[in-house]
Amino acid sequence: MPSSQAGVAHDDGLRKPWGTIVAFLLPALTLYVGFTAYPAIRTLWNSFHRVLPRREEFIGLANYADLARDDIFWRAVRNTILWACTSPLIEVSVALLLALALYAKVPGARFFRVAWFTPVLMSYIVVGILWLWIYNNDWGPVNVAMRALGLGAWTRPWLGDPKTALPALIFVTSWMWVGFNMVVLLAALHSLPKEVLEAAELDNCGWGAKLVFVILPLVRATLLNLIVLSFIGKMKIFDLVWITTKGNPLWATETVSTYVYKRAFEWTTFDLGYASTVAAVWFVIVLATVLTLTWAFRQREKLEY
Amino acid sequence: MAILRRSLLLLVLTLYTSFAAGPFVWAAMMSLRTTTEIHRNHFAFPNPAHWEKFPDAWFNSNYGIYFVNSLQVVVAAVVILTLIGAMAAHCLARYRFRLNRVIYFILFSTIIFPPQITIISLFQILVQYGLYNSKVGLTLVYVAIQLPLTIYILESFFARIPADLFDAARMDGYSDWEIFWRVALPIALPAVATTVILNFILLWNEFLYAVVLITDESNRTLPLGIQRFIGDTQEDVGMIATGLMIAIIPVIVVYAFFSEKLIQGMTAGAVK
Repeated sequence: MPSSQAGVAHDDGLRKPWGTIVAFLLPALTLYVGFTAYPAIRTLWNSFHRVLPRREEFIGLANYADLARDDIFWRAVRNTILWACTSPLIEVSVALLLALALYAKVPGARFFRVAWFTPVLMSYIVVGILWLWIYNNDWGPVNVAMRALGLGAWTRPWLGDPKTALPALIFVTSWMWVGFNMVVLLAALHSLPKEVLEAAELDNCGWGAKLVFVILPLVRATLLNLIVLSFIGKMKIFDLVWITTKGNPLWATETVSTYVYKRAFEWTTFDLGYASTVAAVWFVIVLATVLTLTWAFRQREKLEY
Repeated sequence: MAILRRSLLLLVLTLYTSFAAGPFVWAAMMSLRTTTEIHRNHFAFPNPAHWEKFPDAWFNSNYGIYFVNSLQVVVAAVVILTLIGAMAAHCLARYRFRLNRVIYFILFSTIIFPPQITIISLFQILVQYGLYNSKVGLTLVYVAIQLPLTIYILESFFARIPADLFDAARMDGYSDWEIFWRVALPIALPAVATTVILNFILLWNEFLYAVVLITDESNRTLPLGIQRFIGDTQEDVGMIATGLMIAIIPVIVVYAFFSEKLIQGMTAGAVK
């Protein structure tokens, strides 16, 4: 978190060079106001209007009332929340296992670390197309391997089947982000005080016990940070879905982001107001959950120590 | 026993490595094979390697245009971002004034905003000001979306520079701008490099804002170009793979030279 006052408390409040301060901040703040703050407020404003290409009309809470009865929206919310709740757990737990493996001084650890990190450097567009092929029904490696193992009856178009499409995409994001989480956790492990671990070893503490009672509590802050970060990322997910399934089949992979995009720019209603309402509601939900999560994790921290 | 355990561990690690990197190797192989060859056997090595597919994609499938567009937008955005982000971060870290922490907090909290909250209105605003479907408009939007994270990373670094250094510089008659440009910025170079690399990668891969704000073929960035290409030619796997490699290669090149710096940049937001 921000290291706030340490370096700031330098200029004694007597002489404030306001001209300089404004000059330094102005470019950044202008862009921020013009391209972030104003658009955000305008979206909220839009959400109470019907916004057609040439005219706007005030319709009060009508959009919100429609939204409450919009089944596709709630489907999208369920999908996104499912995604945002499962991914962080998969990513962080696999990453922890891999980080522990590398922590145990394996030859070539540096190489593994660099190699595993690669997926996260690629765009979701590249990753999405690769996995479209990997899941391909006729010649994708997944189905080819399953046929070779005699599991031919279980093969399917993984992204075309409403039952498997969402889990298959969740798997892709996990594949992509495990390396990232692993690197952060490895750094946390390396910064652990050596004496504590040695003390545990002297006490004849086994690997399992050492993990649960010594290592996990020490890297807890990092773990929770990673979970929140992954959660936020999945609440925003758009690119991967857009390039692979566009929310199909039967809204099985529809996320809130793709739904906003569709309502604003694809459906021929030409009304930006309703899409703004979806965005506004989602904005509030994301903000509220992230704040709650951060707060809940802080509380637990306080209780423990 | 220990040796057995060790080799088992190595086996697992190797398996995971092929799982993490395999798809890219596969794509790289396909990028050098024609679609006919690929459909004969999807998992064979390129033999012979069709290097001519790269100039073909570059000149005949417009990947050259997409690549140059991406480069223009991303480089311009990163340069502006670094300069105005560093100025703001330096100001917030060094000068104490009433609104300092308020501004910092507002910028900082923007990091968690879902992009939908701005994107619809940004579309309207850019249309109004004639910046819709232009690289200038996209560049400005890119600067705006990466600004909070950039300022956040740089501010925490600037704040750790000892104030005595600035006092000494002032004694030597440095102006406020010179203190920023010739004292703070050079010291903060490692952090600046981190944000440059981070912003480069994130913006090079950016898709959502581009797909909303750009429609013209001549203005498409690489991710948009690839999407367009697979929309047009679903079946031409070989050529799509070549296009993917054109998008991947700059990232791989940067990664090969600056792997530690890049990892540092990508994880900068995560470690507290």
